Amino acid sequence: MSQVNGAGSPRLIDVQDVTRVFHVGGEEVRALRGVSFGISRGEWVAIIGQSGSGKSTLMNVLGCLDTPSSGRYMLNNKDVSHMTDDELAVVRNEEIGFIFQTFQLLPKETALSNVELPLVYRGMRAKERRERARAALAKVHLEHRMHHRPNELSGGQRQRVAIARALVAEPSMLLADEPTGNLDSATGEEIVRLFEELHRAGNTLVLVTHEPKLAARCPRAIRLSDGEIVADGPGRQVALGDLHAPPAQAAGGS
Amino acid sequence: MFQRFQANLLAMADNLRLAMGTFLGNPLRTLLTLLGIVIGVTTVIVMMALIEGLRLKVNNDLSQLGANTFEVSKWPSGFGRVNWRMYARRKNLTLEDMRAIQEFCPSVGVVSASDTSGGQKISSSTIETRPGVQVTGATSEYINTSGITVAAGRFFSPVEAVDGRQVAVVGLDVADTLFPGMEPLGQQLRIKGRPFTVVGVLQRRGSFLGMVSMDNVLIVPMRSYEMVYGEVDSVEVAVQAREPELLDKAKEEVTNLMRRRRDVAPLAPNDFEVHTNESMTQTFNSLSQVITIASFGVCLLSLIVGGIGILNIMLVSVTERTKEIGIRKALGARRFRILAQFATEAVMMSLLGGAIGVGLGFGLAFLSRWVLGFNTVVPGWAVVLSLVMSSGVGLVFGIYPAARAARLDPVEAMRSE
Repeated sequence: MSQVNGAGSPRLIDVQDVTRVFHVGGEEVRALRGVSFGISRGEWVAIIGQSGSGKSTLMNVLGCLDTPSSGRYMLNNKDVSHMTDDELAVVRNEEIGFIFQTFQLLPKETALSNVELPLVYRGMRAKERRERARAALAKVHLEHRMHHRPNELSGGQRQRVAIARALVAEPSMLLADEPTGNLDSATGEEIVRLFEELHRAGNTLVLVTHEPKLAARCPRAIRLSDGEIVADGPGRQVALGDLHAPPAQAAGGS
Repeated sequence: MFQRFQANLLAMADNLRLAMGTFLGNPLRTLLTLLGIVIGVTTVIVMMALIEGLRLKVNNDLSQLGANTFEVSKWPSGFGRVNWRMYARRKNLTLEDMRAIQEFCPSVGVVSASDTSGGQKISSSTIETRPGVQVTGATSEYINTSGITVAAGRFFSPVEAVDGRQVAVVGLDVADTLFPGMEPLGQQLRIKGRPFTVVGVLQRRGSFLGMVSMDNVLIVPMRSYEMVYGEVDSVEVAVQAREPELLDKAKEEVTNLMRRRRDVAPLAPNDFEVHTNESMTQTFNSLSQVITIASFGVCLLSLIVGGIGILNIMLVSVTERTKEIGIRKALGARRFRILAQFATEAVMMSLLGGAIGVGLGFGLAFLSRWVLGFNTVVPGWAVVLSLVMSSGVGLVFGIYPAARAARLDPVEAMRSE
């Protein structure tokens, strides 16, 4: 599987002292309290934490769906911390492949059209779009179901469509949010295997989850608690709670 | 530059495809939403078709009133607001004026004088018409200046006119009413009790402005007319130029002569009116323009009502499809792209309504021609204008819901169900 290689910093993601503060009814909620870490190309990193730990907020920031209140976030050598809505949309389209817990497929479109969608917003011609979408569906072994709508597909198949959609535009990283959360364990296993395959092919994967078992299978994991990084290291150790390293020391990872 | 254009074209094609998908997914809802626009545009098209048909008919009717002729009258032609009292003070036109025109204007061919009384009852020995007949007293030259033709019998002769013989030329409606199934020539009829002999029947002329029959008329010599109705105050003088090219020259000669005869001061305006078919056509056209603009205004109102329907349904649509918008934005759709998607949908919807309205309008116009006998012509500009107006309405009322969609936060939008 192809991989976009940028020059300059070897780090694809460089997060420096990022905070995110929400104002809810006059009250200040500090979802992220100064988070710093880096992720290199080809890494597979899990971000793990209880609900309320700030991992969803971090996922939104990493996914350029949100911007930090302070600090700096460099993605593929671009400072995305202060970008406008439209600039972020372009970065999302070019750099990030999203995989959501609830799949987020368009219900009225076929699998093929769903996979085409990121390419539509890249301004690609329909014919080329279709070819690439077909190839992406082949990678997730769903070529035979490409003319089916989401409601005609099983949960696992839907998530594979979503993965194909994330892959199709050849982004710098895949960002998965609880990708197995809505699947039974057998199907979940199928998806994790697919991730392993993608990792071996050289893709950068960031996986946000609350499941220690899933995080344990990632080479590296970052544990968040109360908006701070409390552990960063090999997935098994962080996930199973063996490792509690101070964030400053942990940054940089494997 | 070219690539950018190509990308925009691609985006437009995608948006069109999406809009079509939405319509096909919700055909009934789309149709109901369109109803306001459809009704508005149908009304515009039918109204315009009626007005245009009427206008063409009137122009045609007026041009048949007599070629190369114009009228000299104390009264202005009847459209619009007129201060009648002011005109009443003017000096009357007389048969002497008519004779002077005949004598002193070299470019003039034929001159006639006439006066008309509307709403008259005519009777035969057994039957009486309803009081709707126009009785005209005229000089014998009237046959040449008025554009009428005698279908049977003859018009009255100069001798009969001068002598004031009791002879009449009748329109077909009068003939049919008084002498049903009989040969009207040679029959006797009575105007206010005075007996007249029918010597001619006019050719059918149909109706003027599609309403007033031009066959419910009767023409008698001026002298005899005055015996029935008393002396005429002011006659209408109809003038025919010798040649079509001499029409303007004749008008000038007649105007100068009349000014001299009526002692009009050199810089003062005429104290009489010169009506040509052209000027009457103009008057009517400007009247029909006012009606056109007014009915377009009314139709614009119903388009606005239709637009509010679109505004409503687009707001519903944006709410229903919040999740879809979130997904699209997350995957890289910029604000303008989302705005364009929903604006395209609104414009396509109202344009579709406009097209249906145009179709229905054509249908109704066609029906009214065959069923009601109205002359209707759908003007091309009305079609273009109503399509432009309806898509404009879609844009105006679709832009707010579209802007709301474009501003949605992708994370929150994806969370909605």
